[in-house]
Amino acid sequence: MRSRTTTRRVAGLWLGTLVDIAAEGDSADTVEHAIAAAFAEIASVHHSMSAHACDSELVRVNRLATHASQRVSGGFHAVLACALDVAAQSHGAFDPTIGGLLCELGFVPGHGGHGPATWRDVHLDQHGVRFERPLQLDFGGIAKGYAVDRAIAALRERGILRACVNAGGDLRVFGQRSEVVHVRTGGSAGVALPLVCIADGAVATSGYASQRRRVGARWATPLIDARRGLPRMSTRTVSVVAPGCMLADALTKVVALLGADAAGVLEHYHASATILTPANGRWRCTEVPRGGVHASRVRAPRIPAHHARIPAPV
Amino acid sequence: MRHTWIVASALATAVAPTAQVAFAVEYMDVAGAQRSAYPEATAFEPYTVSAEARADIARDAGRFVGVPQVWRVRSGERLLGWFIVDEVIGKVERITYSVALDPSGAITRLDVLAYRESHGDAIKLPAWRMQFKGKRSSDPVRLDADIRNISGSTLSCRHVTEGVHRLLLLYDRVLAHA
Repeated sequence: MRSRTTTRRVAGLWLGTLVDIAAEGDSADTVEHAIAAAFAEIASVHHSMSAHACDSELVRVNRLATHASQRVSGGFHAVLACALDVAAQSHGAFDPTIGGLLCELGFVPGHGGHGPATWRDVHLDQHGVRFERPLQLDFGGIAKGYAVDRAIAALRERGILRACVNAGGDLRVFGQRSEVVHVRTGGSAGVALPLVCIADGAVATSGYASQRRRVGARWATPLIDARRGLPRMSTRTVSVVAPGCMLADALTKVVALLGADAAGVLEHYHASATILTPANGRWRCTEVPRGGVHASRVRAPRIPAHHARIPAPV
Repeated sequence: MRHTWIVASALATAVAPTAQVAFAVEYMDVAGAQRSAYPEATAFEPYTVSAEARADIARDAGRFVGVPQVWRVRSGERLLGWFIVDEVIGKVERITYSVALDPSGAITRLDVLAYRESHGDAIKLPAWRMQFKGKRSSDPVRLDADIRNISGSTLSCRHVTEGVHRLLLLYDRVLAHA
C-alpha cells in the first residue's frame, strides 16, 4: 500500500506569465518548502534575464558587453551557452541576438536599432561575455524554459516525488506516473487537444498567431527569422518534447522556422516535435522527425470519429 | 524521458480530437490567502466600496470585472493594512487574485487564488468524455476531472497589472481616507 503523500499546487506571476507549480511529497512541510524554493529559483531567473526590468543582468550586458567583457551569473552563462549551441546547430535559424529587431517591432522595450550582428558576434568563455559589435541579446525564446528547469531541480533536491512546473505553457514534469498534456489551439475559443503523454520530460509550445501585431503595413510576430532579419507570420502551433524545458523552448522556434528540415537538429538534442497547421477547419499534424525518435510505449486513447471536425482556428 | 504523442497518433487515422478547455485551478481560498498575507492579524473587517467610487476609478483605470472584496486588517487595535480580492479577465482566462497592502498603501503581497478558462464548462459534455471511455485502469493515460496541464497558453500578466493599478487607485482615492 502506498503511504500517504501531500500534494499542493501554487501559482505566481513571473516572467510575464502565470507560473504554476504542482508538487507531491511525503509531508506538507516538505512540499511547502520545496515549492517556495522553486519559486525563488524562478524569481532569480526573472530578475536576471528580463528585458523589461531596467536593472536586470541582461540589460546590463546589452549595454556594456560591446565595450568590455562582462562577468555573468552561472544561470546567465548556462542560458547563453545553450542559446549559442542551438544557434550553431540550426545554422542561425535560432539566434539570441534578435533583441534589437524585437525592440523595433515593439515586442520588447529598449532603444532598438539592429545592425548586421549575429550570434557569431557573441563570445562567451569562463570569464564572461563580450560582443564583437553592438547587439542586443534577447532570451524571450529560452529563459522561461530555463526557469522551469531550475524550479524542477529545486523540487527534486528537496525530496519531491512528483511535480509539474508550467510557465505559461512551457512545462516540465517528473515522477513515475505519466501526465497528459493538452495544447491550446483555438485562441479565444478555448479549444485544446490532448497532445502528449509524458513522464520525466519537457513540453514547450509556440503559437504565434495570437501574438501578432501590426508594424507599418504588415503583420509581425515575435517569431524572427534571424537569417533574413525579418519577422515571420506563422499560423503554425509547434510543440516540442525534449529532456529539458530550456531546450524544448528554444527548439520550438527552430521548428517553427525550419519545419521538417529541423529533424536533424531535433535528433541531435533527443527531441521531437509536432506541428499543427490549420487546414479547412481542421488541423494537419506533422511529426518531426517522422515517426518520432522514441518508440511508443504508452497506448494513446482512441479518439472517436465524430470529433473529426473542430472549429477553425481564430 | 518517456513520452508518446497523442495528437499525432490520433491524426494518423484522420481524426482530430477536440475539447473545449476546462482548465480551472483553485490555488488558494480567501481565508488561506489572508492567513499567509497577515499571519499576525486578529480581525478582517469587511469594507464596502461604493458604486460611485468604483465608477470614479473606472473612468481613469478601466472597469472592475466584479465588485472587489475589501477587508480592513487589524491586529488588536493596530491597523495592519488592507486585503483585497479582485478578478481580471484576459483573452481566454479569468484570474482571481489577492493583494495585501500595508497601512501606507504599498503592496506587500500578491497571490493568485484561482485561474479558469472562460469556456470551461463545455468539457462536461459527455461526447468529449467518451473518448476516454473503455480506457483500462492499467493504462497510464489518466484523465483527471479537469485538464491539468496546458501547453501553449496565451496568458499574459498584462490584465493582472491593470487590475493592480485599479486597486492602487482604490487605495489612493478611498481606502487611504477611510
